[in-house]
Amino acid sequence: MEQLLQYTITGLAVGMIYALIALGFALIWKSSRVANLALGQLVLISSWFTYGILVQAHFPVWAGMIMTILFAIFLGWAIERFTLRPLIGQPTLSLIAVTLGLGYFLEGIVIVVWPISVAKLPVLFPQDPINIGSAVISQEYVWAAGISLALFILLSLFFKFHKMGIAMRAAADDQLAIQACAVPINRIFSLSWIFACIVAATGGVLISSIGGITSALIETGFKSFSVVILGGMDSFIGCMVAGPLIGLCENIGAGYLTSIIGPGIKDLIPFVIIILVMLFKPYGLFGEERIERI
Amino acid sequence: MKKHRTFTAIILVTVAAFVFTFAAGCASQTPAGKLDSQKQLKIGCSICFTGTAAEKGQPIGQGELDAWKYINDELGGVDGNKIEIVWYDTGYNAAIATTNVKKLMDDGCLFFTIVSSYDATASKEAANKAGFPALVIFSSPSLTNPPAHIYSQLPDYGDDWAAFTNYYLKNIWKGPGKPKMALEILSNSTGYGVRDAAKVAAADLGVDIVTIEEHKTTTLSETDALTRIKEKNPDILFIGSTPAPTSVILKNAYQLKLIPGMTVACGHAGFTKALIDLSGKQISNDVYGVFPTVNWGDNVPGMAKMDEYCKKLHPQYVGNNDYLCGWSASLINAEIIRQALKNSTLDVLTSGDSVAWKAGEEKGFRMVKGYDVEGLHGPVDFSDPVDRRGSKSVKIFQIQQGEMVPLTGWVDAPYIKYE
Amino acid sequence: MSLPCGIRNYSYATDTAIIRTKTQWTLFIVFLLIVFTFPFYFPRFWLDVMNLIGITTIAIIGLNILVGYCGQLSIGHAGFMAVGAYTTAILAGSYHMPFLLALLLSGVSAGLIGLLFGIPSMRVKGFYLAITTIAAQFIIIWVANHWTDVTRGSMGLGVEAASIGPLIFDTEASQFFLIISITVLCVLFATNLARSRIGRAFIAVRDNDLAAKVMGINVFAFKLLAFFLGCFFAGIAGSLFAQWRGHITPEDFTFSQSILYIGILIIGGLGTSIGPIIGTVFIRLLEQCVTLLAPLVERSLPGIPSGFATGLSPMIFGLIMVLFLVLEPKGLAHRWNLFKASYRMWPFSY
Repeated sequence: MEQLLQYTITGLAVGMIYALIALGFALIWKSSRVANLALGQLVLISSWFTYGILVQAHFPVWAGMIMTILFAIFLGWAIERFTLRPLIGQPTLSLIAVTLGLGYFLEGIVIVVWPISVAKLPVLFPQDPINIGSAVISQEYVWAAGISLALFILLSLFFKFHKMGIAMRAAADDQLAIQACAVPINRIFSLSWIFACIVAATGGVLISSIGGITSALIETGFKSFSVVILGGMDSFIGCMVAGPLIGLCENIGAGYLTSIIGPGIKDLIPFVIIILVMLFKPYGLFGEERIERI
Repeated sequence: MKKHRTFTAIILVTVAAFVFTFAAGCASQTPAGKLDSQKQLKIGCSICFTGTAAEKGQPIGQGELDAWKYINDELGGVDGNKIEIVWYDTGYNAAIATTNVKKLMDDGCLFFTIVSSYDATASKEAANKAGFPALVIFSSPSLTNPPAHIYSQLPDYGDDWAAFTNYYLKNIWKGPGKPKMALEILSNSTGYGVRDAAKVAAADLGVDIVTIEEHKTTTLSETDALTRIKEKNPDILFIGSTPAPTSVILKNAYQLKLIPGMTVACGHAGFTKALIDLSGKQISNDVYGVFPTVNWGDNVPGMAKMDEYCKKLHPQYVGNNDYLCGWSASLINAEIIRQALKNSTLDVLTSGDSVAWKAGEEKGFRMVKGYDVEGLHGPVDFSDPVDRRGSKSVKIFQIQQGEMVPLTGWVDAPYIKYE
Repeated sequence: MSLPCGIRNYSYATDTAIIRTKTQWTLFIVFLLIVFTFPFYFPRFWLDVMNLIGITTIAIIGLNILVGYCGQLSIGHAGFMAVGAYTTAILAGSYHMPFLLALLLSGVSAGLIGLLFGIPSMRVKGFYLAITTIAAQFIIIWVANHWTDVTRGSMGLGVEAASIGPLIFDTEASQFFLIISITVLCVLFATNLARSRIGRAFIAVRDNDLAAKVMGINVFAFKLLAFFLGCFFAGIAGSLFAQWRGHITPEDFTFSQSILYIGILIIGGLGTSIGPIIGTVFIRLLEQCVTLLAPLVERSLPGIPSGFATGLSPMIFGLIMVLFLVLEPKGLAHRWNLFKASYRMWPFSY
């Protein structure tokens, strides 16, 4: 029972971080139906940027955070303006492949600008562990979970009530129709990329404050795919539920199955669950079911 | 129409670039711009500068290349022969690593070095088939077993484990019976090297492996694995991983109060300055590490030059022992060439095909006996008929107040027989 | 439609032939002749690159059947390649099965595993389906890593050089003949498949599966068939990869490769028979060129900061990929067709 509590708490906390990264993915999908394969690289480059500002340029933390956000905004704008806007109206798969190329490009930039290979961000959160019953968790995870929850609430409110947010949802639904309503679709895409980059940057800072900055962050980006798809690609709430769910399954599943099946089962469990979910809920947990007509 | 033209222009530029690199690639087979009479020895380097393992490939690769600069510019080459270095980035991509080997063969290299065990695994068969000898800097047991044309510079990940286990049994273990050990390993050849060694040799050495846990490079929390490990109540936790995941594991182990109390040991892939940077000063005396080289700044003959070059060319790697490994790899290469020149002729060695490779291996590699690598790591010996490890020695370190303090001199890692 | 002026078809056979005019035949034969004489004047390295291109082409052809024709997104192709590679390694290595048989069985085994992971396609579509293939990738690699009795885990399996009768394919040149011959066969097979009833059914399923169903196509069966065929090719590619490399480990078949394969296919052109070839040649050559470029840059520009030369490779690779897609979003095959059309109509392009 003690272990179960520990697994649950760790799983939930780690899952919230997955959810945050996944949120960045869902944002772009929701407004433009593009799967962003460069997500991991976005996380990586913003982590390094934060490192450059905080450690190399010795800015105070608050100024560093602001500059990271500004950088993310610029990055999002530039990516949309120079790689995706010329492709509006082209097959979606081409847009996806463009993000793949973009990923390589960003990775190259990281190596050119920061040939340091591995680094640590300054301590952003208090590190003393918190005891919950018999379980224990570091405050970093709690902070990370809290921040991703806050971002999620902000974004949901924005999409629910703000005019632009509603327009963004509409854009995902029917690009032609929304253009006919004189909504500037370019601005919508631009905005969604900016948001996605901000979310990725936040995720990057949170993750690298826990595990350091390495190129492994790219693979962390891939991890979000499973979260997003489990939650339903176009659903924020899906991400926020699926993230912790995957975290939980990983931890609890690994907790009780490792001794039976063997080490490393942790990485497999989310996928097995996803396949099962797909068989019963083909559009993810919270995805919108599309009614099709011929 | 404008778009059409831009596209054509870009296609033309790309094609031109293809042709250019192609021509350059072919041209480099013949020593361009050199007098034909002046034969140049070539050494290949296959380095993972980019990709997932860039955190290791960058310092090691730059260390290698800087050492060659030192050897060529300051020492005037090896026995008066300047050495040409041909290097390619593998991008930690198995396909590129494989074709790189062929490129290095075509370029007329005498032998080549590989940085990571991943790239080496990809290059292994191509090199072995052709008899093209290779020196692997960070290797895993699968590369040198069964012995063929791949040599490893340092003890492999499995040897780390064996050496530490021996040390533990002799110096730390007080209780009766066998100590219980848990492995927390990375799910790639770095970690599996430890697993494979433990499977073969645990019983002989006298430890019980109570549980094996795996993690990925991306891990954010290993609390769950450590919870399971805690349940088994082992005496030792051996971590076979790279710095970032190792620091996560250590952090979580502190939270779960596994440390202080349990002995923790890290394999050499994860036991660098980066580990201490990442985990902070909180690491206490319970953390041991195995590393096959001396510490940065130790008083050994080769240290001053390396420090000087590193500060001059790549100051960001000062204090990084990976750089030291790369640097010493090139020193060993130079020694191999020295032996080869002594026992064979320049004509044979520069002929650039299987004759040269054979000479390089038999007259070069195999003749290296007890080379001290200017004190940077354990003595290198490639003359053993089956044991393909150059240096067989590691040092056991302990982390004390954020410093890696050596506890031992060179400790020999026992040769483990696989299968 | 794609015929030069003045050529008419007088029989069904000529109408359906892939190569129809004398010029086309000449060009085709000359092309093949040129390709098959490569081993006589290319060094080892470029032959090896071409072998890799051949192998990748086969894998991408499979992916094209699955994604390009049938519209079932698969991001686990490297995993299916692993199945083929391991089948060959085990059958040819431990049971000394003749290479050709092992090759075929590798295809079949990968196809069957693909079939298994294709079952969710009954209900799931698009990116939601992609996850099951991602899962396939991770599950297959996990099994390869942990079923150590058979796969020897990370130690990997050695694969002997392929041999057909007295012919042993152990040099780059001989492998080139083997791999390129099989690639040509695969290209022909895939091209014809796409024109057959099956191919048309795939396209119908891709374009609108509901409409396809209404027209009497068994959608699920055809999706499964697409999975089988796509993964069959992946298995063939994997088998050739195993004997090309001589040694395989689970780490040779990574998730990022699966993603790159999708990228190659999109850049080449989805749902075309020439697309996979152009895309593979383009990306694989680009990959090699940027690899060769980094040391060249460092040598010719001494004094550039460290990391610049090495970072340049992925940067240029990504940049060219982006540029090509921005300027030619329909894939290089589309550009190829435009080129052919303009050549055919020249000088009267209207």
